[in-house]
Amino acid sequence: MFTITSRTSAAVLLALAVGGCAMSAARSYVATTVPPHPNKTYAWAQGPAKATGDPRLDSNRFFEERVEAAVDDALKSRGFVKGDAPELLVKYHASVVQDVYVSGAEQSEGRSGLSVYDKGTLVIDLADAADDRLLWRGWAEDAIDGVVDDQRLMEQRIDDAVARIMKRLPTTF
Amino acid sequence: MRTIRLLTLAAAAIVASGCAAAMNVSSHVEPGLDLSRYHTFAWGPRDALPTGDPRLDANPVFQDHMMGGVLKELSARGMTLGDARTADLLIHYHASITERIDVNRVDRGYGYCTQGDCPAETREYEAGTIVLDFIDARSGRLIWRGWAQRSIGKMLDSSDAVADTADRAVTRMLQQLPVHP
Repeated sequence: MFTITSRTSAAVLLALAVGGCAMSAARSYVATTVPPHPNKTYAWAQGPAKATGDPRLDSNRFFEERVEAAVDDALKSRGFVKGDAPELLVKYHASVVQDVYVSGAEQSEGRSGLSVYDKGTLVIDLADAADDRLLWRGWAEDAIDGVVDDQRLMEQRIDDAVARIMKRLPTTF
Repeated sequence: MRTIRLLTLAAAAIVASGCAAAMNVSSHVEPGLDLSRYHTFAWGPRDALPTGDPRLDANPVFQDHMMGGVLKELSARGMTLGDARTADLLIHYHASITERIDVNRVDRGYGYCTQGDCPAETREYEAGTIVLDFIDARSGRLIWRGWAQRSIGKMLDSSDAVADTADRAVTRMLQQLPVHP
């Protein structure tokens, strides 16, 4: 079973509804029973990446390697070690969809206030290496219009999103 | 004579404006990539991406102009077309078409609506994306990826429009390649 620990406050939700910019919220789930992993060893799960919904990102190792490097850095800073006999498996999934938001400010100017934007979601999973049971999941959503086209910007936004997600990993994990 | 020339120019302008839909082009590159290390190239085996949209991928005019355009541009850079088994560089392209929505907001200033609730017009359109990958044959690693995106519109109805789109896409994508040192 999972416990939802969401830090998305009412103020943020209001800003999302009323404001012109899409907030970048990070959330997470943690399993209620997490087996001990005293060595804190992990490895990347094998298997093909799922389609992102954006052909520019599918099988794009510039994107993939940046995500993996950022996650490796975050885990290392929390005392995790990448190794051959892992206790934990790490995987991620990225997806891009169009989303709409309504801007209250624009409505008063006689415009409809409806806008469409590209929403990117990055999900990071930590699973038990023994039985592949999901132990922790963190994710972040961001408005990413123009981001994929600018490689440097994309790298910064990946680093930022991974940092926000991994901050939610419990220190006791 | 003069009338015919004017009509031809007018027709060309109309065709050009109709076909010249805005095209978004960009790329990702391996830092420090030096293309002068690559002397031969070849079309690589079917790529790892899911099957492209056959309306483009299986369209002989599209294929012809994509491959022809890449051959011309890389030859101009001093590379030669070789065998897939021995070439330095392997090239794939992949074309996909997805449904997207666009929102046209109706502006009160144009007199289309006077109430506070001006309606949004959402329209669905088909967006085409061409992805062009350069793979180092020795390492198997992607060293450069370019892409071109534009709305499909009526492009698929005309071989000329398909050819023109492929030509423009290849030219603009390859302009993104790092310049020779």
